[in-house]
Amino acid sequence: MSKPSSAGFQPASEVEQQAGSLRYRLILEASDVHKTYLSGERRLEVLHGVSISVHEGESVSIRGESGSGKSTLLHLLAGLDAPDTGTVKWEGSLDTGAGRRARFLGMVFQSFYLIPELDALGNVLMAARVAGKVGATEKQRAKDLLARVGLAEREHHLPSQLSGGERQRVAVARALMNSPRLILADEPTGNLDEKTGDSIIDLLLGLCAEQQIALVLVTHNAAHATRAGRSVFMRDGLLQ
Amino acid sequence: MPWYLYLALKQLFPTGKRLSFFTAISILGVALGVATLIVTNSVMGGFGYEIRRMIIDTQGDVQIRARGLIDQAEPLIETVSKVPGVLGVTPFAEGVGMLEYGRKPAFPIIQGVDVNRVNDVIPLNRFIRVGSLDELDDDTVILSTQLAYSLGAHLGGKVTISSPLLIERLKNDEVFLPRELTIVGLFEIGHQQLDSNTVLVTLRRMQDLYGLGDAVHGLNVRISEKLDADQMATRINAALPDEPESRARSWLEANTEFLFVLQMEKNLVSILLLFIILVASFSIMSSLLTTVVRKTREIGLLGALGGSSRQIAACFCVQGFLIGLIGTATGLCLGFGFLALRNEILLLFTKLTGSQEALERFYQFSNVPAHMERADLVLIVVGTIVISTLAGIFPAWRASRLKPVEALRNE
Ligand SMILES: Nc1ncnc2c1ncn2[C@@H]1O[C@H](COP(=O)(O)OP(=O)(O)O)[C@@H](O)[C@H]1O
Ligand SMILES: [Mg+2]
Repeated sequence: MSKPSSAGFQPASEVEQQAGSLRYRLILEASDVHKTYLSGERRLEVLHGVSISVHEGESVSIRGESGSGKSTLLHLLAGLDAPDTGTVKWEGSLDTGAGRRARFLGMVFQSFYLIPELDALGNVLMAARVAGKVGATEKQRAKDLLARVGLAEREHHLPSQLSGGERQRVAVARALMNSPRLILADEPTGNLDEKTGDSIIDLLLGLCAEQQIALVLVTHNAAHATRAGRSVFMRDGLLQ
Repeated sequence: MPWYLYLALKQLFPTGKRLSFFTAISILGVALGVATLIVTNSVMGGFGYEIRRMIIDTQGDVQIRARGLIDQAEPLIETVSKVPGVLGVTPFAEGVGMLEYGRKPAFPIIQGVDVNRVNDVIPLNRFIRVGSLDELDDDTVILSTQLAYSLGAHLGGKVTISSPLLIERLKNDEVFLPRELTIVGLFEIGHQQLDSNTVLVTLRRMQDLYGLGDAVHGLNVRISEKLDADQMATRINAALPDEPESRARSWLEANTEFLFVLQMEKNLVSILLLFIILVASFSIMSSLLTTVVRKTREIGLLGALGGSSRQIAACFCVQGFLIGLIGTATGLCLGFGFLALRNEILLLFTKLTGSQEALERFYQFSNVPAHMERADLVLIVVGTIVISTLAGIFPAWRASRLKPVEALRNE
């Protein structure tokens, strides 16, 4: 907790070296991000100087103890919250607002977060609706995606009629709906049994590789983590 | 369709289910409020309308009275008849008299009518329940129903009528014999006071009873239906000669206070009933607030999908608006349905309570009147929808203030 924040820069520069060349576009870049929560009298420094870069089509896994700040970091990367200091850039731009979010990134959560009033197809299409366009093309893409995650027959089932693994497949399809540049997944297998979890990770990694989408995967599962192109560890408010 | 509109519709009418429970309750609240407002406003308006019509039917649209008596009625009638828009003019004389039937006395208002002309202005024929107006001559009389009832008088019976003139003459040692008249009809107007206390005689008989000679007390005037009574009164006043000094007043002017009370009563009840809508709007608000709490995570998710807080607010505002809209539409159907069946419903009610006779005694209308001003209807519809939409604003504001991060955190 007391390390100087400048130490946070080091992993990032390593990452750039690892990524190898500039052929790959930089999709996500966070530099020296700090985040402190104030709860009553107590200050909780969750992130002190986190930096991370993710290139086009690259997959990065983040592991770390519960409460180490992984979700906090993901929310900052998604532009859903602002860092106290430091910057988050999407494709080199500081604009991480709602207007860009719909097309730039997709998110997958531990608890799926499907809209209970909408069927599987409706949930996938919701991403397109928020992005502002639902036409025949979008409908076809949503159907294709549902077929791709193995739910072709379940298009018109409500979330309550689907199992946990099936719901998460719908959520994965939804994250891919708008052909985003980046997917942020926060413990997507946390609520699933091992076998189902494995298949979700297969899907996520497979689809992202297929479509050249960058992926940041937060997971507790060591086996899942090693399947990503690169693994980092969150400890004491820093990425290592 | 913008996503927030789509989602608002889906939350109100989820796929598979017809209506969410919370929504149904809110809609029902609004619908009941609107229906009650419509029925009450319409029935009160109906009674008011009937009362107004009764005033016009018994007094004419415009009444002309002089300071004293009108000695020369005919030239005046001719002048007034020539005013454009005037359909009929009839002279009248009226006053209190003493009436005896057997040994029972009564002190009714005696109305002297010009049998040849009265029907041009006052649809007396319509009010005759027994007998006929044609038989009214200088030796006959028509009684109001309740007066006849309390006297025990019946058709063909004889009554004697005397007037204050009797006493005056007595002072001068003259003899003025009470006139004996035969009952040839009974009439009922539908107004307690008139029906319990009025008798009709010919104008000539009244002039005789009151010693008026050829003079009358005033003229009743009927005007064309499309014309405004106040404007016509002004026009007639302009045509009236200086002698005798007389003035025309419209029925509106003559009954200002009564009409004001009538209107006041209706407004007051409407305002009280508006509280039903307000209560309904609170149920909308609480149901939407519950939704905001229940759907905290989804609201967070919408943020993660790229929805702005303004759009999320719109989603809830639209729900308030839609509940108001559907509730109002349902309320209109309920209200007007009830009004269409009002007589059947009343009949059923009176049968169940055995109060039919009492009802007819109290309310002279055997059918429940209904009359609604278009402005009132528009006010109810627009007001309800506006109030419902406003009820959605607070929940919407709460939802929009919810940060996606906070919303997503309660895993
Ligand atoms: N809004 C908040 N207010 C106060 N503390 C918070 C808030 N959000 C998260 N925290 C705390 O920050 C720490 C990191 O949380 P989180 O990012 O969810 O960790 P992880 O996802 O790695 O389990 C935890 O100790 C958590 O209690
Ligand atoms: Mg977490």
